[in-house]
Amino acid sequence: MLNAKIPAGPLNSKWEDYKGHCKLVNPANKRNLEIIVIGTGLAGASAAASLGELGYKVKAFCFQDSPRRAHSIAAQGGINAAKNYQNDGDSVYRLFYDTVKGGDYRAREANVHRLAEVSGNIIDQCVAQGVPFAREYGGLLSNRSFGGTQVQRTFYAAGQTGQQLLLGAYSALERQVALGNVTMYSRHEMLDIVKIDGKARGIIARNLITGQLERHFGHAVLICSGGYGNVFFLSTNAMGSNVTAAWKATKNGAYFANPCFTQIHPTCIPVSGDHQSKLTLMSESLRNDGRIWVPKKQNDTRKASDIPEEERDYYLERRYPAFGNLVPRDVASRAAKERCDAGYGVGTSKQAVFLDFAAAIERYGNIEANKRQMHGVSKEEIIKLGKEVVAEKYGNLFDMYAKITGENPYETPMRIYPAVHYTMGGLWVDYELQTTVPGLYSLGEANFSDHGANRLGASALMQGLADGYFVIPYTIGNYLADEIRVKAISLDHPAFADAESKVRDTIAKLMSIKGSKSVDHFHKKLGKIMWDKCGMARNEQGLKEAIEEIRALRAEFWKDVRIPGDENEFNPELEKAGRVADFLELGELMCQDALNRRESCGGHFREESQTDDGEAKRDDENFSYVAAWEYKGPSEYVLHKEDLVFEEVKPSQRSYK
Amino acid sequence: MKWSQFFNTSIGKKLLVGATGLFLCSFVLVHLVGNLQLLYKDGGKAFNSYAQFMGHNSLIQFIAWGLKIVILLHAFIAIQLTLKNRAARPVKYAVNPGNQTSSWFSRQMAIMGSILFIFIVLHLSQLWGKFHYGEMPTQTYEGIAEPLKDLYTVTYDLFTNPLMVLIYVISMIALSFHLIHGFKSACQTFGLNHSKYNGIINFIGVWIFGILIPVGFAAIPVIIYLNK
Amino acid sequence: MEHYNMNLTLKVWRQKNRNDQGRFETLQAKNISSEMSFLEMFDVVNEDLINDGKEPIAFDHDCREGICGMCSMHINGRAHGPWDGTTTCQLHMRAFKDGDTITVEPWRAGAFPVVKDLTVDRSAFDRIIEAGGYISVNTGNAQDANCLPIDKHKADLAFAAAACIGCGACVAACKNSSAMLFVSAKVSQLALLPQGDPERKTRALNMVAQMDKEGFGSCTNTGACEAECPKEISLTNIARLNREFIGAGLTTEK
Repeated sequence: MLNAKIPAGPLNSKWEDYKGHCKLVNPANKRNLEIIVIGTGLAGASAAASLGELGYKVKAFCFQDSPRRAHSIAAQGGINAAKNYQNDGDSVYRLFYDTVKGGDYRAREANVHRLAEVSGNIIDQCVAQGVPFAREYGGLLSNRSFGGTQVQRTFYAAGQTGQQLLLGAYSALERQVALGNVTMYSRHEMLDIVKIDGKARGIIARNLITGQLERHFGHAVLICSGGYGNVFFLSTNAMGSNVTAAWKATKNGAYFANPCFTQIHPTCIPVSGDHQSKLTLMSESLRNDGRIWVPKKQNDTRKASDIPEEERDYYLERRYPAFGNLVPRDVASRAAKERCDAGYGVGTSKQAVFLDFAAAIERYGNIEANKRQMHGVSKEEIIKLGKEVVAEKYGNLFDMYAKITGENPYETPMRIYPAVHYTMGGLWVDYELQTTVPGLYSLGEANFSDHGANRLGASALMQGLADGYFVIPYTIGNYLADEIRVKAISLDHPAFADAESKVRDTIAKLMSIKGSKSVDHFHKKLGKIMWDKCGMARNEQGLKEAIEEIRALRAEFWKDVRIPGDENEFNPELEKAGRVADFLELGELMCQDALNRRESCGGHFREESQTDDGEAKRDDENFSYVAAWEYKGPSEYVLHKEDLVFEEVKPSQRSYK
Repeated sequence: MKWSQFFNTSIGKKLLVGATGLFLCSFVLVHLVGNLQLLYKDGGKAFNSYAQFMGHNSLIQFIAWGLKIVILLHAFIAIQLTLKNRAARPVKYAVNPGNQTSSWFSRQMAIMGSILFIFIVLHLSQLWGKFHYGEMPTQTYEGIAEPLKDLYTVTYDLFTNPLMVLIYVISMIALSFHLIHGFKSACQTFGLNHSKYNGIINFIGVWIFGILIPVGFAAIPVIIYLNK
Repeated sequence: MEHYNMNLTLKVWRQKNRNDQGRFETLQAKNISSEMSFLEMFDVVNEDLINDGKEPIAFDHDCREGICGMCSMHINGRAHGPWDGTTTCQLHMRAFKDGDTITVEPWRAGAFPVVKDLTVDRSAFDRIIEAGGYISVNTGNAQDANCLPIDKHKADLAFAAAACIGCGACVAACKNSSAMLFVSAKVSQLALLPQGDPERKTRALNMVAQMDKEGFGSCTNTGACEAECPKEISLTNIARLNREFIGAGLTTEK
């Protein structure tokens, strides 16, 4: 049984209590302690900056050409915080409760409560850094609502909230680089963890420009490398997003938790053809104002504008009157899939539903006309005013949609379909964010801790920054306080040499295959298996088939992949190959986890476990645990369980009706 | 930041180019007003008196030397910046956007400036140099005691040569192109960019300095030539 | 929207590494759908190159949704191609027609040396930010966010400037390879907000000094940067930077 080291005491005082009693490291000692941070997204950049500010010697790594490009930058809608600025009944408890419920009772209460507690500080910190959040005319911060909540607690900067938050964290990071507290290694990829006497003591990284392998020592290593959605090939992740760092940690003894918990986001631009390289999200914030519908008639080929109101099925409003279009993502995605599978889909592929703004445009137009005291204005005038309001709220998203599809979303409804977006699973961490390897931590999307089986909108940014700014600076001290006597270990230590030669051998092996198929060929095949059999709906037979197919594909990959070029140069194909090799192992584990979890919860929908009206049916008796998998060898994983204890929230059938 | 450091930064240098440029703009305005007296049909009395005054008033003389220093400074820093700007792109593009992303005028400042510089040297040697240091006929006017140097006639003689007229007109076209961008650009360098005032800045830059003044200058040799 | 397929001729810059001379290579792109993004067209070309046993074209890209700022191609003389306000990854093949010849070059600037083919090194931008593109506030120092009301208009202007994605198109588009639009966007964002006020003078001075040191050219106000910026950052930001810099230069004591 896994011990999450949750502090004793009532839920709302655990974190205060922990902070009051954890060990501290004095400033003089901090200067001698080195910390390696992998990834510079919200979690990594905020952690590296904060630890640098504290005086630790930090080395930060990212594979992009600049830390500012990490994929947190693409988060659109917003960040939650229990500020209750809207006076609509929000509180730390409600944010905590919504998150646990939204996660379908598969998250750890203590972590989620801490997340809710520090959420307000994040907004304060970001404003102080100069993050230009949206404001009201009075100069105060503006909020909007997101799925799975009934309050307005989402702070935002147009449709570019992730960008603005990341640039804030990036600027804090660059400030520490300038001050010499952080050394930045851009275009570097971590390829292994170095363990000495059971503790994480460093990494092997490849300089992507020269191909050189480098050894780096650290008293602790932080994995902040994001999620693994790219295992599906098509996802809203960036092209480079990968599981490699987390997977190398897994192979070095860190447990991988809940790998099957994948979030399929309901509002993405549908696939247009085989050439598709990635999918683009249309922010959940659009569901504040957009109404989702399909025609009431099957295989209706009429244009949206030709379908009269009474022949439209606003299926989310119909099925979930309480939350309507703002049901959580897993629910919205499944509902869209259900309609399309039943033959009501729209567009050429029939794998899409409409997201319609006509009603919102008219409503905003009327409000605007009232505000300006215009009377007896024509419908056209109202529509024009309404479009202006909608453009101000969502202009960049509408522009993006128009560029990708060539259609004007102000005139015709958007076509949307669910796509892989976020992975709730990740490295298992305890309350201190430490993995099962001492000295090895995991933050942000790379860990599993806060979102259970489904993440609510605008909570990923919150978690990444909470972990980096407000959690790790405390919890890492508790570990490093006992490490102050450890001098920097020589890079000639056999453990470094071994790890490096292992990495070198793997690269040499990849380069020597000289097969006939490109890396993308295998990645696409893997993605298809995962999407078909471990996607929005899963069943035992499919998962078993998937495991076999992935094993066969992996064998073929290692026999027949073709990587052009040389290992000692800038070689993007080699980078991809290494990442896909890891996905080919992770994919199998995901299926295995999905097979093991014979219940439906959140983003994990087992067809065998559903209610009469097709909703996900949890099995708390048998599956109220975190499934943490230990790597024992190829295709060999041992399951460790962390039982979930709910002291505050009583798990119930989630209902948004 | 010390002065020397300040004026060695890219913006500091541009500030100098802009400031000297705006000073030269004010000069061309005054110069044109004076020169238009060439078109008076009074046998050069007004113009030659004006030239006599400008040539002998010590304050004006002081400013005139300052003007030459300003021209040299303007040209020197601009050349310095241009060389640095060229060096900033060691490998050029095979395909350039042409006028798709910027106006033609804005990209030709160095060429137009060079034409103007050559013109100024020629212009000074032909008229100013001759007036101060060379042989000059004189002319006596009623009501003026001393005979005046007859710059008026020298100028009229100069523009009997169609080649000279052509050189002057071309140079004024260069001036037009230089100022259409130059005036606005100097304002931008000083930080003057405001939606309320951009219309005015644009109007002055294009219509006053870019068109009116160069046309006024160019008209003088053309009219003189046509009336010879 | 009508979809169509096309065949294209590509003239692509190939350069093995920083020290290589580099040259253009002519390639054929066959059966390209008008629905593809420009980078997906490159994916197809690369797949063909790999299948032919040749080296694929190296180009930077990551998010493919127009926000990370990684993609960086100079297409037919235009930074990020012919569409205004668009990154290369968001440029779609509808912009071209069957039989077109497309010339693709890397960003050209001494301060952005070529790494390989179409990939360049933009770390100069990071160093400019290090020189002052931040507010010096340590984690945990902040007061309540709503204690500091900010004029909505100014907040909106700050946001518009902060939208910069650091792609370097401004430098690529400028005939002088000037980085003024990039620097001005960050200086403007922080100068417009009260939080940025305590450091505004040193910020402007230090960031410009670093920009000069990196070897970028100086601004001649041609406006090409604004025309090519995928996030449509305004030239008014450059004017604001000039004001900030001149004000700081004339008033700081040392």
